[in-house]
Amino acid sequence: MKKAINLVTAVCFLTLVFAFTLAFWILPDTAFSEEENRSLAQFPEFTFSSLADGTFSSEMTDFFADQFPARDFLVGIKALSETALCRGENNGVLRGENGQLAVRKFRVYKSLLHQTADIDYYYRDNVALSLDALNAYAASETRPLVTLLPPRSVDVAASAFSYPTEISDELHSQIAETLSPDTGYIDLLPLMRERYDAGDYVYFRTDHHWTPEGAYLAYREIMKGFDLEEEILPLEAFTVEEIPGFRGTTWSKAGYKFVGPDTIRYLSPGNEDEFETTCLSVKMVKDENGKPQKVKEVYKSFTGWLNRDYFTAKDKYAAFLDGTHNEQLVTKKTADVTRERLLVMKDSFANSLVPYLAEHFDLVIANLTGGTANASELAEEYECTRVLVVYNWENLITAASLAAIK
Amino acid sequence: MVFSSLLFLFAFLPLTIALYYLVPHNKWRNWVLFVVSLLFYGWGEPVYILVMLASIAAAYGFGFLVAKYRETNVRRARIWMTVSLCTNLSALLFFKYANFFIANLRLIPLLSEKLAPIEGLTLPIGISFYTFQIMSYTIDLYRGQTDVQRNFIAFGTYVTLFPQLIAGPIVRYRDVDDQLTGRRETLDLFASGARRFILGLAKKILLGDAASRVYEYAKASAEFNATALGAWMVMIFYTLHIYYDFAGYSDMAIGLGRMFGFRFLENFDYPYIAKSITEFWRRWHMSLSTWFKEYVYIPLGGNRVGRLKQYRNIAVVWFLTGFWHGANWNYLLWGAYFGIFLMIEKGFLYKKLEKLPAIVGHLYALLLIGFGWIIFSYTDIAAGWRCFLALFGVGTTGFSSPVIRYEFLHALPLLVIACIGATPYPKRIWDRLGEHDWISCGSITPYGEERPITEDGLVLSKRGKVVAVLTTVGCVLCFVLCVAYLVDSTFSPFLYFIF
Repeated sequence: MKKAINLVTAVCFLTLVFAFTLAFWILPDTAFSEEENRSLAQFPEFTFSSLADGTFSSEMTDFFADQFPARDFLVGIKALSETALCRGENNGVLRGENGQLAVRKFRVYKSLLHQTADIDYYYRDNVALSLDALNAYAASETRPLVTLLPPRSVDVAASAFSYPTEISDELHSQIAETLSPDTGYIDLLPLMRERYDAGDYVYFRTDHHWTPEGAYLAYREIMKGFDLEEEILPLEAFTVEEIPGFRGTTWSKAGYKFVGPDTIRYLSPGNEDEFETTCLSVKMVKDENGKPQKVKEVYKSFTGWLNRDYFTAKDKYAAFLDGTHNEQLVTKKTADVTRERLLVMKDSFANSLVPYLAEHFDLVIANLTGGTANASELAEEYECTRVLVVYNWENLITAASLAAIK
Repeated sequence: MVFSSLLFLFAFLPLTIALYYLVPHNKWRNWVLFVVSLLFYGWGEPVYILVMLASIAAAYGFGFLVAKYRETNVRRARIWMTVSLCTNLSALLFFKYANFFIANLRLIPLLSEKLAPIEGLTLPIGISFYTFQIMSYTIDLYRGQTDVQRNFIAFGTYVTLFPQLIAGPIVRYRDVDDQLTGRRETLDLFASGARRFILGLAKKILLGDAASRVYEYAKASAEFNATALGAWMVMIFYTLHIYYDFAGYSDMAIGLGRMFGFRFLENFDYPYIAKSITEFWRRWHMSLSTWFKEYVYIPLGGNRVGRLKQYRNIAVVWFLTGFWHGANWNYLLWGAYFGIFLMIEKGFLYKKLEKLPAIVGHLYALLLIGFGWIIFSYTDIAAGWRCFLALFGVGTTGFSSPVIRYEFLHALPLLVIACIGATPYPKRIWDRLGEHDWISCGSITPYGEERPITEDGLVLSKRGKVVAVLTTVGCVLCFVLCVAYLVDSTFSPFLYFIF
């Protein structure tokens, strides 16, 4: 008996160790992980200097981690085990009713060089810096301005979790108390919460963005903020196109493989063909006198505002505006009348607002999180008549981009 | 490299096992261990291999001189021993403590400009452990408790042996002397080593790291909203984290040792069931306490001197113990803290505690141990003091906050499992059910008490057989689960959309 058990134990142990090892070396390497949305580490190049300074070993560690066999499966196993332990969350992502996921713990912005461990508190002072910068910008801006700070899933879908709203409430009231009326701040939280609780599909369950329906609600508020309430297009003006099988960023982070996917219910105005999106890059070129000058180049343009290729990939939300670009224009190809131009200083939440806003304005869209866009300059350059700021709460607490707005 | 990494488990370990068992003779097997151990050590910081090799060479060389004179000329032998010890200690002092001394000397106004910290000086991994191992060889040799090791590879293997190289247990030379040249690898020992290794891996990854996450969270949250419950979470989960992390690592070391035919002494004996601080230190990191007892406390006179000198001896040992743990004031304070309580216990308290109900001793010891870990975990002493005060509600915003309560409630299952796991009961029950100790068979306590390797004539009842099978199945599941946690920790979705 003793011999048999010890033999079985030794064989099991060696089999596990050698099986994973062999699988690792035999299975072909993967270049890109859709699940994680990033390139995976490849076998590092060996040099004696890289060995001596330790870069070889750290690259080897990354290579091993990234190319490990059955990675996704094992990540799912870990999530299951945490569930069995009644943790109620995994990797900082809460799992609530109806498969609603929401990131709870964030790497919070502390200083340029410092982010914290994953926590749910945030630095009030840093958020205050961003909000004050917004106030200062609003005071200098003469064009009508609307500011939209979309809350996070964890704030909106609070009723799906037993997680307290302590932090949500704190952030919510800090924003409301700090922002001046000049900013045209619209408080979305009560509205979104009310609609979420009523069963409306306003935020994705598996992604940190709002749904097209949530974006439509925000669009209505924007129009009201600009005093254009009578021009608001009713929901019936849009036809629904369903793109099923969307597993978003929160799903990837959480590792709960048993949570089902979202469906993107894209609200189409039906006239995408009449629009064109161009993506611009800015280059500094010296002119004849040797002075540096900004030159803009179109590096990509497409009809409408969707890149439908993404609807068949994992990262379906990236279909809106083709993902993140620094500067984009959405214009009507055959405009008889001159249309108003709206400057949108934004993060990715604004991407799904485009289908509604483009019906009313030509859009000049600048990525706030790039940190280089200058609102006043852009508004001048494109003769914009209105400005919209869209920047979600997660960015507010984890980054300092908004503090640079001017 | 650390044991709880994919690279170790699925590149280093299979390679080492394969090479080790492919070469036929013990002599060559030592070569294999020596070379792979250097690789293990140099992974990440290859330069420090040289520091370690120099220390080994020095002790090896001076060893001949100590052995040569110990019979004929004790004074000379003592001189060479001192030279050998100083060589080893100077490396430790330089790499670990130089910048600490400089930083403190710079506080003196006149010196602040003349002294500059040495840049680029990082601590060679495991230097505190292997220096003590090397010293044990030299001292044992001088005392005539062991013979000189003429084989450099065998001596090098003793010091560099990767299972215990970077985090102990601190193996005394004379405990493995015979094993270096005459050990026997058997299937039974290998299997019991594999079980022990997996148990250690599970302790470290499933409990230690999980407790660490709660601790880190509570500590970071306290910066925003200090609450009493948060401070208790910092203390409790750090207490659990450091135990499972360290005891798990020792288990892995002991298990790996057995896979290659070595039998190391135990390093932990359920320290948190202690009823006094004296008892705690008999159960915690036993190889270190034994080392200090044997090479510092007893040579100073130990208990066989007057009361006052006994207290001095305790003070010396606990100053050194604290300082050994790190070059920072909080570690010195931590050592002094335990030193003081050990003196008080020696004075009268230990006897008093023995008469009181056990629960009093448990509470007393656990609280003091916990407070000790607060000192230990905060290198910033002022921050540690704030955390300590917060335990009693001083400087807090209240007893708790909703999110802290939420976190605590969801960490409760972990807390319960970890607390039960820190007592001997689960293992005792399992061993009784199984009629055999599958995990610790083959281990040796620091008091020299040997638990036999599974005997050949072992007869198990039906229940015993079921338990034996379940143990194996449990090991397999635990191993896969640990790998899943390791893989998950490297899984980092890049959410570029936010940016």
